[in-house]
Amino acid sequence: MSKAMYIKAASCISPQHSYGEGPMLEPLMSSDTGMLHVVEQDYRKYISPVAIRRMSRLLKMSITAGMQCLADAGVQPDAIITGTGRGSVSDMEHFLSDMITLKEEALNPTYFIQSTYNSVNGWLALQTKCTKYNETFVHRGLSFELALLDAQLTLNEANDTQNILAGGFDEMTDYYHVVKGKIGYWKKEQIDSLELLQHGNTDGTIGGEGASFFVLSNDKGNARAAIAALKVLHKPGVAEMQNAINEMLEQNGLVANDIDVVLSGMNGDAKQKKLFEAGTGMFGDGATVCAYKHLCGDFDTASGFGLWLANKIVSEQNIPTVTIQSGVRSDAIDKLLMVNHTITGDASLILLNSCK
Amino acid sequence: MAEKIVVSSVGLVTALGLGIEANMQAMRQLRSGLRHPVHLQTIHAGEFVMGEVEYSNRQMAELLQLPADHNYSRTALLALVAMQEIINSFDIELLRKEPLALINAGTVGGMCTVEDLYPDFIAPGTGDYIRYIDSLDCAESTEDIAAYYKLKPLMATISTACSSSANALMLGARMIKQGLVKRAICGGCDALSRFTLNGFNSLKNVAKEPCKPFDRDRVGLNLGEGAAYLLLETEASAKERGARILAELSGYCNSNDAYHPTAPSPYGEGAYNTMQQAMKMAGLQPGDIGYINAHGTATINNDIAEGTAISRLFDGKIPYFSSTKPFTGHTLAAAGAIEAIFSIAAMREGIVLPNMNFDTPMEELPLAPNTQLVEHVDIQHVLSNSFGFGGNNVSLAFSAL
Repeated sequence: MSKAMYIKAASCISPQHSYGEGPMLEPLMSSDTGMLHVVEQDYRKYISPVAIRRMSRLLKMSITAGMQCLADAGVQPDAIITGTGRGSVSDMEHFLSDMITLKEEALNPTYFIQSTYNSVNGWLALQTKCTKYNETFVHRGLSFELALLDAQLTLNEANDTQNILAGGFDEMTDYYHVVKGKIGYWKKEQIDSLELLQHGNTDGTIGGEGASFFVLSNDKGNARAAIAALKVLHKPGVAEMQNAINEMLEQNGLVANDIDVVLSGMNGDAKQKKLFEAGTGMFGDGATVCAYKHLCGDFDTASGFGLWLANKIVSEQNIPTVTIQSGVRSDAIDKLLMVNHTITGDASLILLNSCK
Repeated sequence: MAEKIVVSSVGLVTALGLGIEANMQAMRQLRSGLRHPVHLQTIHAGEFVMGEVEYSNRQMAELLQLPADHNYSRTALLALVAMQEIINSFDIELLRKEPLALINAGTVGGMCTVEDLYPDFIAPGTGDYIRYIDSLDCAESTEDIAAYYKLKPLMATISTACSSSANALMLGARMIKQGLVKRAICGGCDALSRFTLNGFNSLKNVAKEPCKPFDRDRVGLNLGEGAAYLLLETEASAKERGARILAELSGYCNSNDAYHPTAPSPYGEGAYNTMQQAMKMAGLQPGDIGYINAHGTATINNDIAEGTAISRLFDGKIPYFSSTKPFTGHTLAAAGAIEAIFSIAAMREGIVLPNMNFDTPMEELPLAPNTQLVEHVDIQHVLSNSFGFGGNNVSLAFSAL
């Protein structure tokens, strides 16, 4: 049995107002272009003017979210563990296009260096002078969850207090949107992103992006929420997923009724509707079902935004109305279960406890 | 005392050939795999030697008995071919039945395929190329391995540049220790691509001639390709199935330079700490190490940093060390796993692999790697180093059992 991972801080740059001062998720941001981009921030806070000029959006938002998270927690990291579906894909596109256009001559190395999947981790280590454990997972829609799993392994191994900076990040580019559109990722009809989940009878979803970071610790500190359990599932069918949910509940001494909030990764894709409903349907009327991909879009590490939201719900004991799909809560929120399916069919379960 | 994690099966393909025997034989005969590439289509083919795997994609597809319309990139083909040796040495039902992890590593996934098709990818319309559209993801090869061999493992894919597959081994060991899985197949795969070649070339650290690790006159690395996997399990699990144990993975450390995005500290702080911590975990003193398979890329920066770290750590009593990259080229994400296998094989066969092309010690550091094949050496413990971009360092310690 793994130890709880206390969430000491969470920082998220997303298509919504989720970062910095000011009210969260207000005003709501939307798009009708089939993709959502992050609300850009002042990245000069944590990145030098020299470095910032050459950096892609992904690097800027990820480094900033990561550094802010550490500042919020008031700790130095003992490990930096991240996940990304495609890293700095705009740098990759840039270098690749130049290479083709310039016929392999006179290329700018900056794009190549930044296109490496671990470049965000390298920068974060550099900025924090953290010479300890440093890992980058690149396993499509499970990249972020695998980073959490590694954080769990790391905390289990520790005898002393450990503060782990764990995160997930991806960026949406026009090219990426075109490429994945060819294999049916996106809705064909033009919709308002905030109404994504009302279009659940057609195929496809909308694209998104974001950078979410967390300081996870074996020390409770001032944490108000903790990750109690975590499970990744490779292309599960309905039965396998439901068994995994039951098993997780049982291992944590819970029954379905104990779950106060189910935070679903439902993405408005008719092809995946059955899978999502099979998960949320296990909790009857007792649980409030919430969703988030109409706010951030779908991307490999969208569950990072999900965890940011989950932490906010549990910590503040308040569910943003825009996320509620069914059921209304008036009593305390003690247990929240995240159920996510990725576009490629993988799934993950994350159980959060409130820390009283 | 925690259970020992052991290596009980390995498989690899490199420019030296397919399988551990072919690779070791080539190195015993001082036969390098470096040559001008014939499969990689690049305007630089006549300019640089590389460690290109001899097989064409078609030959690998035949080895794997794939249908003509398969959608495997060269990266995935290398991975599948390398895995054959492990699968053939194993009761595959056991791998299917008992909890297994598959930890793979890559730096650019199927870029070798994508770079040919990219203009089609981003243009309007569709075509036959659609089946390759997901091949850029590093996780594609991981899922290809599981699907081809009908395994249902817990999968993860790591990308920490040149230390990627060393990290895969470390993660697999940790998962077994914590009881997440019973066994883990860990390694990495990377195919040569124009993207990578031009990337390193834009950094001006690719050598045209065979590389000269730790030499004063080194000018850069040779790129290579390959794939390698090691099967990890507990000693008890290996014994329970009567397996031959190749080595114990006795120590490991992942650390970061936190110095510069692409260059190590010239004092080799990162390399020093990583090796030291791996040895500490294994309970080893400097004098216990019989051989170090160095990262030794032959870039100006790596070799001075790694060389300095080795001289400091082993202060006056430097063990045999060599870089095997003049044989294979720098195989990036596969390098950690390939060189882990070389280190284990060297220990088992009691030989020290030569560092080819070394003539003159570096001026800053009078340090000489082992340049000849040395036989009949009693080696009980080895270190295998992998240092990468982003300051990502890993050292692995293997011990004889």
